[in-house]
Amino acid sequence: MVDLKQNLNRLGPVLGLLLVIGIFSLLVDTPGRLLSPNNLRIVLSQTVIVAIGGIGMTLIIISGGIDLAVGSTIALTGVVTALAINAGLPPAVALLSGILVGGFVGVVNGLVITRLKVVPFIATLGMLGVARGVAKWLANQQTVNMPGTWLNELLVMFPKPSWLLVAPGVWITIILAVCAAIVLRNTVFGRRVFALGSNEAAARACGIATDRLKIWIYGIAGLLFGLAGVMQMSRLRQGDPTVAAGSELDIIAAVVIGGGSLSGGEGSILGSMIGALIMAFLRNGCQQVGWPNYIQEIIIGAIIVVAVAIDRWRSRA
Amino acid sequence: MRKFLLLLLVLCAVAGCTNGPPSNNNTKKKLTIAVIPKGTTHEFWKSIHAGSNKAASELSAQGTEVEVIWKGPLREDDREQQIQVVEGFTAQGVSGIVLAPLDNRALVRPVADADRAGVPTVIIDSGLESDDFVSFVATDNRKGGTLAADRMGQLLNGKGKVLVLRYAEGSASTTEREEGFITQIKAKFPEIELVSTDQYAGATRDTAKRASENLLNRFGDVVQGIFTPNESSTAGMLLALQDIGKAGKVSFVGFDSSQTFIDAINANQLHGIVVQNPFNMGYLGVRTMVDSLLGKPVEKKIDTGVMLVTKENLQSPEVSALLHPPLDQYLK
Repeated sequence: MVDLKQNLNRLGPVLGLLLVIGIFSLLVDTPGRLLSPNNLRIVLSQTVIVAIGGIGMTLIIISGGIDLAVGSTIALTGVVTALAINAGLPPAVALLSGILVGGFVGVVNGLVITRLKVVPFIATLGMLGVARGVAKWLANQQTVNMPGTWLNELLVMFPKPSWLLVAPGVWITIILAVCAAIVLRNTVFGRRVFALGSNEAAARACGIATDRLKIWIYGIAGLLFGLAGVMQMSRLRQGDPTVAAGSELDIIAAVVIGGGSLSGGEGSILGSMIGALIMAFLRNGCQQVGWPNYIQEIIIGAIIVVAVAIDRWRSRA
Repeated sequence: MRKFLLLLLVLCAVAGCTNGPPSNNNTKKKLTIAVIPKGTTHEFWKSIHAGSNKAASELSAQGTEVEVIWKGPLREDDREQQIQVVEGFTAQGVSGIVLAPLDNRALVRPVADADRAGVPTVIIDSGLESDDFVSFVATDNRKGGTLAADRMGQLLNGKGKVLVLRYAEGSASTTEREEGFITQIKAKFPEIELVSTDQYAGATRDTAKRASENLLNRFGDVVQGIFTPNESSTAGMLLALQDIGKAGKVSFVGFDSSQTFIDAINANQLHGIVVQNPFNMGYLGVRTMVDSLLGKPVEKKIDTGVMLVTKENLQSPEVSALLHPPLDQYLK
């Protein structure tokens, strides 16, 4: 019986996704349009940024933390990458610099949380403002346009070698998600992340250096947010310091819908990826059905509340 | 399990409460045109919407069934959101897209993708650095600047000192207006001296007012004419002039319209505004798209017209049609 309930819990997000796809397939007047190859290409490309951010956020949320600075980090790293390309660096180096800046922001978050004993919510709320401000400063309060490179092709609808079927960024996301899932399940590091989120005092008593672990977690998540920033830049083909405002909420919602618990110790990469897909299909479906923007906002808002309510109910039970 | 049930409940509730008409019944001959503005609340975009609807109802009356789907970005001025709207319509397989791009570069890829997926695009209002569209339907901004220069020359009888407060660095449409103004003044009114043309108003009314105050502090005593190239710069300059009591004492030509400007024209504080025609832009945008879909040749660039509004012609039927487009008639 307990097993059954656990299985259903794990299956919840999958059922949710099938439900969203099912309902919108019925509502769209040409059945099958929602699942047409072109639409799937689009939805998957649109999911990439939230999904990559979701991998990092899953780590953080499992460890019992939170990161509100993701949107700002995405803007900052996008701007940095664009500036690096403009400075004449090869695209691969620009990509790396964007990712590393993301990692640096994450490490700073981790240091503030562990050394200054500021709770993650406040520490990253501060970073939300700081990173956004630095992005605008670096970008001179304008968008940073740069010459075209292969970085621009990461999220195109029709990828260049057409046998890829979907944008290269989608494949990168899938590979990263698989790696992260394996690391979380099968490595000492992964088990420690869960231990930290389940009971920090117990984890420390077991000899885990919790402070150092937290810095690693925020740092690794930061690298992923940096990559999400590069993806955002690739979509816009420019570094935009005002982009992705509020996307941290989408990312947190994806993790929570996917079964992550805000009180820590619970969550899965697969769940978060499905959570991200649910959000993307909701947005896409609402538009395909022809509902106005405010309906989308109401539905997505309601789903977030429902998902968190379930999270609370589960942690009580 | 509970999660699943709750999700079901929410979705059903939402699905149940929106019994709106289905967006488009794909009967074979009907053309669906998606019109995507930069935002949805501003009067300017409402006029474009009304113009698009007028084109659709006219074309439908002529036997070509056309349906306009109007959808702006979820958050206004958010490039990523506008990209998602374009991509959504591409996947939906509309017949054509009429787009006012929020950015001349960020929207290049989605428009190219749409083109590859067989959905052509007509660009309206602002340019796109690409060739993947059918036509560019917009205000001839250079001509707008030229009109303003002619008015200035007439007001000053061909001589005096004039300053131009530019809008913002990198804004293509306003730069063309400024260049149009400056070129025409230099060519046609050699006795008019341009005392300042290198100051920028910035994005908002507030920054424009600050820049205006600084400029007037420096040149206020010598200058006889002022030109500003858009709504916020005109509004900021007007506020600054009113504050120091110089409103009405210098010849002031602005751009774009608002009720404040019309009041200022009546009070002789503003001596001319160059007004675009968004209603016509929406109308021609949809017409051009449909013409192209029906295989008719279309121009690569189409001017939607600009007009100089002064106190003399404010009451004319032409101007009042421009300032008060029949929004109610075409927006239900």
